[in-house]
Amino acid sequence: MIAVEGLTKVYGRRTALDHASFEVPKGEIFGFVGPNGAGKTTTLRILAALLEPTAGRAFVDGADVIQHPDRVHERLGYMPDFFGVYDQLTAAEYLDFYAACYRQPRVRRKKIADDLLELVGLSDRRDQAVDTLSRGLKQRLCLARALVHDPAVLLLDEPASGLDPRARVEMREILKELQTMGKTIVISSHILPELTELCTMVGIIDQGRIRATGPVQDVIRRLTIGRRLRITVLGQKEEAIAVLKPLSAIRDAAMVNGAIEAAFEGDEATAAGILQTLIAAGIKVSGFSQLEGGLEDAFLKATSEAVG
Amino acid sequence: MRRIALAFWNPIVAKEYRSRMRTWRSPVAMTVYILLLGGLGWAIFSSMSASAHTAFNQGQAASFGQGLFIYLVLFQMVLLAFITPALTAGAVSSERERQTIDLLFVTKLPSFSILWGKLLASMSFVLLLLLLSVPIFSLVFLFGGIELDQLLAAFLVTAVAALTLGIIGLACSTAFPRTLPATVAAYGAAFILLAGSLLFGLLFPTDIDPNATRAPAPPAVTYMSPVLPLVTIGTNTPVTWYGIRNYQGGGFGGSSCSSAGPYGPTTCVPIGPNGIPIGKGGFVRTPPQPYGTTIPSGLFSGWQYWQATVTMQLLVSLAALIVSAVLIPPIRHLPWRRTKPIPATAAAVE
Repeated sequence: MIAVEGLTKVYGRRTALDHASFEVPKGEIFGFVGPNGAGKTTTLRILAALLEPTAGRAFVDGADVIQHPDRVHERLGYMPDFFGVYDQLTAAEYLDFYAACYRQPRVRRKKIADDLLELVGLSDRRDQAVDTLSRGLKQRLCLARALVHDPAVLLLDEPASGLDPRARVEMREILKELQTMGKTIVISSHILPELTELCTMVGIIDQGRIRATGPVQDVIRRLTIGRRLRITVLGQKEEAIAVLKPLSAIRDAAMVNGAIEAAFEGDEATAAGILQTLIAAGIKVSGFSQLEGGLEDAFLKATSEAVG
Repeated sequence: MRRIALAFWNPIVAKEYRSRMRTWRSPVAMTVYILLLGGLGWAIFSSMSASAHTAFNQGQAASFGQGLFIYLVLFQMVLLAFITPALTAGAVSSERERQTIDLLFVTKLPSFSILWGKLLASMSFVLLLLLLSVPIFSLVFLFGGIELDQLLAAFLVTAVAALTLGIIGLACSTAFPRTLPATVAAYGAAFILLAGSLLFGLLFPTDIDPNATRAPAPPAVTYMSPVLPLVTIGTNTPVTWYGIRNYQGGGFGGSSCSSAGPYGPTTCVPIGPNGIPIGKGGFVRTPPQPYGTTIPSGLFSGWQYWQATVTMQLLVSLAALIVSAVLIPPIRHLPWRRTKPIPATAAAVE
């Protein structure tokens, strides 16, 4: 649905984007993660045909962003990282205005505005002036604005920045709803926890370079070193560590918060073998689980490599 | 047909009307405008009534009517020169500052429609001000001396001048990323257009050629200013008082003119730098005199002053509109720049 090939953007002497390439298939939620100034907004603006790349190409639903910006705009809903709101307009008029800009017929515009206000939970605010809405509500209205022409692709630049936790949860619920509607969504963010459970795919960008991209779990697995086990035992903690340490698969084992954490290399069978060894050694194992490395670890790994 | 309708039908116009008319600024601007124009009209009217102790005779009334008309049209032009740039100089740059312009660019609205919508909305407000001033101008008809076609021509000149200032303001707003420099540039351009072109006529007037077969006219640049045609329309007499001088072949000189009556032919005697008339004593050169309100010679020879002004201003407007249309799109496809995308380099493919 979205394809980016060797995208480069140079501002004067600063390279904001350095041969970035990635793809987002249809229906995925792509988390675009990176620190501030990494090149996320630049990439999204190029995808929205608002910025000309210095080199490289980008496609949205098969349409080249430079050759056919009109086709791109038809298929794309773009929500920038600021609230583009006008004074003196009500929420319903605001949506009606953008629906008109997208050449939606007059008869349909009222229904579009009502449906979208319903979707983002602003039905009771339809006649309130846009500039008097709170930050969270403005953000939701801007999301509704990006949807007035029912685009297949949504580009959301930092949709959760500056929102309180409750507003953030609400934003996440709306995005989940949009995912079930089959939309392809690209969300950029520098805040990781909000993305981990929402995204199906992730791209990590730092200093203009794409450090890793793919399905969330793949990226995490690729970037976190080995895998970790969390083992709880009844007493016998020293004995258990003594049993674990000599094993060839175990790289390290230590007490962490009253449980044993062990890093190992191998697959599911290796983990089962470790459990069998412990039990055979007479250790009473009360808990045995694999720790999932988070996106945060992966992100730190990816960006620290770049720094190093 | 549908395309034309779509180009004119513009959601931006509706939105601009709404937001403009919902603020307190518009009614205040309209009230102040009417008060200033009406105040001037009233002041002149009352000073005229005071000076005419007895009843007017017809000739007096007509010349008072003309005087009042000229004051009003010139003052209206000055007021619009202050208002119009303010209406359009922020049109595009304020959208940039509020960061709402990207949201318009990603819609199906062509970038030119954004310009067109902003222009139409601002010019509608100017038109509203012009309509509001009609009752004040009706005061002129109490005295007479001004025909309806003169009033219409004066309003046309004023409206076209306001349109030009509006489009120049729009071009400044497109060229400058911020509203403040755009506004300064728009007022600068307005000043050059209205006063600068007149100043040009004072500094570089047309030299009177005694051997010419046609009467001299002020230089063509000066027709850019609406002041000349507005005065010509009001007085209904040729321009003999501005933009023309006797040729002195270098050095400072001048001419000594004697006039037969207020609108009669003027006879000029060239004077040298030492103040002594040039040529044989008593020899008087009488170059051809202009008659009527047509431009006697030069580029626009045979045109009415207002026709020349309207034509030149429309040309300036067209140029400014083209500049704005080229500058506004987020990705500018300038003719001298490549339009084909650069392929990804080898490093990207690998």
